[in-house]
Amino acid sequence: MADEPNQPRIPSDRALGIARADAESAYRNLSGYRIAIVLEKDGWHIDYELKDPNLQGGGPHYVIDAESGEIVHKKYSQ
Amino acid sequence: MCLSGGDDPKKPSATGAAGGCPSSAPTAAQLQNDPGVKKELQDAWNDSDPADPAKRHEEGGWIYMDTTTGAITTQRAPAGAQASLDLSTPPEKEGSVVVGKYHTHPNPTSEGWDPGPSGADTRVDALHGVPDLIVADDGNHTSGPDSRRGGLGGGPGYPP
Repeated sequence: MADEPNQPRIPSDRALGIARADAESAYRNLSGYRIAIVLEKDGWHIDYELKDPNLQGGGPHYVIDAESGEIVHKKYSQ
Repeated sequence: MCLSGGDDPKKPSATGAAGGCPSSAPTAAQLQNDPGVKKELQDAWNDSDPADPAKRHEEGGWIYMDTTTGAITTQRAPAGAQASLDLSTPPEKEGSVVVGKYHTHPNPTSEGWDPGPSGADTRVDALHGVPDLIVADDGNHTSGPDSRRGGLGGGPGYPP
């Protein structure tokens, strides 16, 4: 019997929710950002990037543990 | 106009002191030491409302050099948002070229904000081709080239 692929205990939508809750506490308005999410070995990588490529600035970046949901790394860019 | 095109970046720069033709574009360090630029950086920082969490926002603008006199001037851009600013379209100034730009990072390091250039800053600054002076609560940072790409030639806006 083939092994089941590892499924993270924390699904992507929950990871996005965890990131969103934190991001909203730091950034007053997130409407100018698009979100990228990728599952890596160390967890969910969630990056808010500015939609407008002409702008200076930045958004929040997270690594969220895919088993516990803990934010293991975050960076608020500006 | 004193200049006709590219210059030698190895030559000592005219630092903006009026009274002679500039020989090359000023470096980021020279711009940071220019009294008018220093004052404008401080004014932009103050205007960013860094102490007010509900109002803090990015301010910034462009730095110009008069190609005849070497005089350095600044022009403020429209105010930005909490963590972004548009410096993509510098207004043209008669007889001057853009030799730098500046903006503030008013969100505090004590609350986990990164004071240095973001990935977007680094990408956009490389594209624009002039030094970017960034004012944050831990001091000044720079991004982009050390001086205007290709020297003082190439037109009044960002270099080609």
